[in-house]
Amino acid sequence: MKKILFLIALILGISSTSALAHKVIVFAWVEQGQIHIEGSFGSDRPAKNCVIKVTDSNKGLVHQGITDAQGLYSFALPDTNDSDLVVELDAGTGHSGHWTLPKDELGMEPTLKSLEEKMVQKQSLEKDPSLARILSGIAVIFGLAFAAAWIKKRKKDKSNA
Amino acid sequence: MHISEGVLSGQVLAVGAVITIVGTTIGLRKIDYDQMVHVAILASAFFVASLIHVNIGPVSVHLILNGVVGLLLGLAAFPAILTALVLQSLFFQYGGLTALGVNCVIMALPAILMHYLFLPLVGKSPKLTFVAGFLAGFFSIGFSCLLMGSALWFTNEDFLKTCIAIISAHVPVMVIEGIITGFCVSFLLKVYPEILPKKIVGKKNWKES
Repeated sequence: MKKILFLIALILGISSTSALAHKVIVFAWVEQGQIHIEGSFGSDRPAKNCVIKVTDSNKGLVHQGITDAQGLYSFALPDTNDSDLVVELDAGTGHSGHWTLPKDELGMEPTLKSLEEKMVQKQSLEKDPSLARILSGIAVIFGLAFAAAWIKKRKKDKSNA
Repeated sequence: MHISEGVLSGQVLAVGAVITIVGTTIGLRKIDYDQMVHVAILASAFFVASLIHVNIGPVSVHLILNGVVGLLLGLAAFPAILTALVLQSLFFQYGGLTALGVNCVIMALPAILMHYLFLPLVGKSPKLTFVAGFLAGFFSIGFSCLLMGSALWFTNEDFLKTCIAIISAHVPVMVIEGIITGFCVSFLLKVYPEILPKKIVGKKNWKES
């Protein structure tokens, strides 16, 4: 039992030095007639030189570009668009992320309040997984294992009886 | 190593899901009652490993640890890796639920292959145990890269170009995982041999100083 606890402690020790893995985060907003896009793999890792594709609700290509060294890309609002826009960032080798800009957000200038809300949304996306989440995941794994062990034991006992 | 949602075609996703269901069913049947805690420990290690980032120059990769999971668990690696991937997807938003089957195949199949290729070397001597661990860690990532390239190739990408891109990005992690797996297996054989298959523990024929 001590050895098992030691191994669990080792796993938790590893997790405390964690950083984000390759979760592709795309964030887009409208400001001064332009659509601004920011791509990252977490707070400190911009998605550089990644392909940006903007499509309408019929999956028609509206715009295409490549992010800069800061993971940023901006372009002028399309004049003819009449639907939501989906921004896709392709980071290559199976990694991609999406962000939807609703139609009603495209036509108006953002207020300070709405920009602040967006920033909060962005920060929550970029946040590292909390220790509580990591512990919950491990607890679920052990819960499932014990449930499976209990079922197996019951089956074994039944077949022995 | 986690393919995102919306990247792969429906057929590739379906094939991945079927292989995962079959593999997990076989894996669950193979797990002994006594082995369940070990499966949970290794699934937990796999679950948190993706949070550990390795930055080497411009390349940034994360650990996977499928080699050590496969080497120690064999077929039971399938349910262990599937559980960890489901939780990574739900708790950390890695990969995605629709790509779960394919991601599981990419990481679990090479892991199981490592069990059959390199476990016979474990326990023969300290040096061979480390070598077996290193090779399992190294090649599990290598084969995972090839499977990932195949999944993307069947969707629409150029196989060779994709494989070269994936493998070149993962060479540092292949070496690091090889070293970690080598040390991990050697250490476990010393301090907690019960986690290894019984036939290996019985085979160990040297005394620790």
